[in-house]
Amino acid sequence: MADALFDIAAERLEESSDMDRLAARGTLRLALKAAGLDANRLTIPQLRTVFEKIMPKELEARGVADAAASCKTAMGAIERAASENELAASNSPDEIFKRLGGS
Amino acid sequence: MEENAYLTSIFASVFYLVASVRLLRLNRRTGERPELLLGIYFGFSGAYYLVFNLPSLFGFDSWPPATEWMIEWIYVLGVFPYLFFIRSVFRPKAAWAGALVGICSVLLLVGTALGTLNGGDVYSLDNLWFHVQWTGYTAPCAWLGLEAMLSRRGARKRTRLGLCEPIVANRYLLLALFGGFQFLACLADLLLAADADGGQAVSMISDALLGGSEIASVAVLWLAFFPPRFYSDWITRRAVILPTPMDG
Repeated sequence: MADALFDIAAERLEESSDMDRLAARGTLRLALKAAGLDANRLTIPQLRTVFEKIMPKELEARGVADAAASCKTAMGAIERAASENELAASNSPDEIFKRLGGS
Repeated sequence: MEENAYLTSIFASVFYLVASVRLLRLNRRTGERPELLLGIYFGFSGAYYLVFNLPSLFGFDSWPPATEWMIEWIYVLGVFPYLFFIRSVFRPKAAWAGALVGICSVLLLVGTALGTLNGGDVYSLDNLWFHVQWTGYTAPCAWLGLEAMLSRRGARKRTRLGLCEPIVANRYLLLALFGGFQFLACLADLLLAADADGGQAVSMISDALLGGSEIASVAVLWLAFFPPRFYSDWITRRAVILPTPMDG
């Protein structure tokens, strides 16, 4: 399910930034790595943070015009496309480690 | 020195049993598997250390080898859920992780079963089945240490973005340290096996290593599972969270 979320995010990024498919997927992978996230276990809130805090700089570095607007457009499209598919995060490592300490 | 090592093992066993109860109660509330698996592991570990050290506690002769092998089963049964915990948390989709769980399980079963059948000292370098079993229970300790340390790197990045609580990122480090200290305790088992003839210098080193690693294990687990308020506050204060570039 999270793999599907990565695919959806890469497609929407491709559409909103005029990058080709390979560049969009590569840029997304780099942004996820910078955020310490696993492409196989993505959630919508995590993607939202990536598109707010990391992706604008990544797109600017690749010469995308109005990177911030592209990110907002892409994230909106991702949320609309993926709202039905969002993976419950109860068994992400962070959630597990949070429960183990009782916090 | 030897008595101190036994005392620390008994202290550790009581702590493991308390941690086990806490995790199993958590599982009853959440119904999730990771806390169940880890709770079973700590339950068996605590029971093993307690039973293994009963002769020292009550001052009677060591268990005979045949009984020691039966006691080994208590620990071995706990390592299976430990392996499944590591896999399900860190590598749920990786085929190699499944293979590693399988290999460790086979080593544990074969080493302990044939060791039980053949008899002989459990902790002896001359006993092939000790080596097989040792590899089966040492590998998961190293694996947990490495996986938790790798996850901690990602968690620190997520903390800066506000995606992971600082105390959770710190918990990865604590579990990595636990894996490392348990690995050291396994090395102490090797020294113990090398010391089958009773050499005093080796015995002192192995007892110090075992006692020290068990105390350190309990300390990091206490901070991980029962974090005191001052510790949580300290970790949270130290964390740096980046502002959002798009906010401005």
